[in-house]
Amino acid sequence: MRHPGGLAGDWGRGWWVFAALIALTIVEFGLLLVDMPVGLFRVLLVALNLADAWLILYYFMHIAQLWRGD
Amino acid sequence: MAYPHAVEHAEERLSVNRTGLWLFILSESFLFGAALSSRYYLQGVERPPELNQLLGLGITFVLLTSSLTAYRAERAAVHGHLPGLIRNLAATIGLGLVFVVGVIIEWYEAFHYFPPSTAYGTIFLTTTGLHGFHVLTGLAVLTFILFLGRNGRFTRGNFWPVEGAVKYWHFVDVAWVFIYPTLYLVR
Repeated sequence: MRHPGGLAGDWGRGWWVFAALIALTIVEFGLLLVDMPVGLFRVLLVALNLADAWLILYYFMHIAQLWRGD
Repeated sequence: MAYPHAVEHAEERLSVNRTGLWLFILSESFLFGAALSSRYYLQGVERPPELNQLLGLGITFVLLTSSLTAYRAERAAVHGHLPGLIRNLAATIGLGLVFVVGVIIEWYEAFHYFPPSTAYGTIFLTTTGLHGFHVLTGLAVLTFILFLGRNGRFTRGNFWPVEGAVKYWHFVDVAWVFIYPTLYLVR
């Protein structure tokens, strides 16, 4: 899967995804410090983890190749 | 007219390779799923207060950073940029080694505060041990790819070994994305 913008474009996209992953992880860790109902805490934790995993699967592992075939 | 046929065959082969690797990754995810579910079965959501939260967060950052460098290496291979491939593969291996050092410290503390004779110790050491073994195999594969890359093995259009090794490394990262909150954060 080659994106427009060449290698510099691909590497730039990598930085944005990385920044999002770091931000999500900090928010995840920050949940520990916030007093909130346990149910809400768990829902947020699962949501953040799924978002993290999806970013890696979609942008870094190119899972869409499976159905796009490129 | 042999050339178009050869290109078609190479594309088909790449597609089969990718499908095979994804099936392997899927099967591996069941293994990690079993380890993670055992945490809730044996220990519920309890965790010991002695857990080193900063170490857990630190090695998570290290592994996420190694995913960025692995991605950069793979894109460099796709574009036939050999220096970028070599540089980023070396960085990925370096970060992987830092992660391993973090796990060793993690284990040293675990044996002190929650040894294998406790339920949490069993879960913690089994899960991080299983993951650590995958990190070590990933490092071995990446090192081999780096060796091949330095010998000019990969060119534009011929990068499947890099892609396969990097995908495996990302999978190790995805597994950690779920292990980290399961062991360190959940309550």
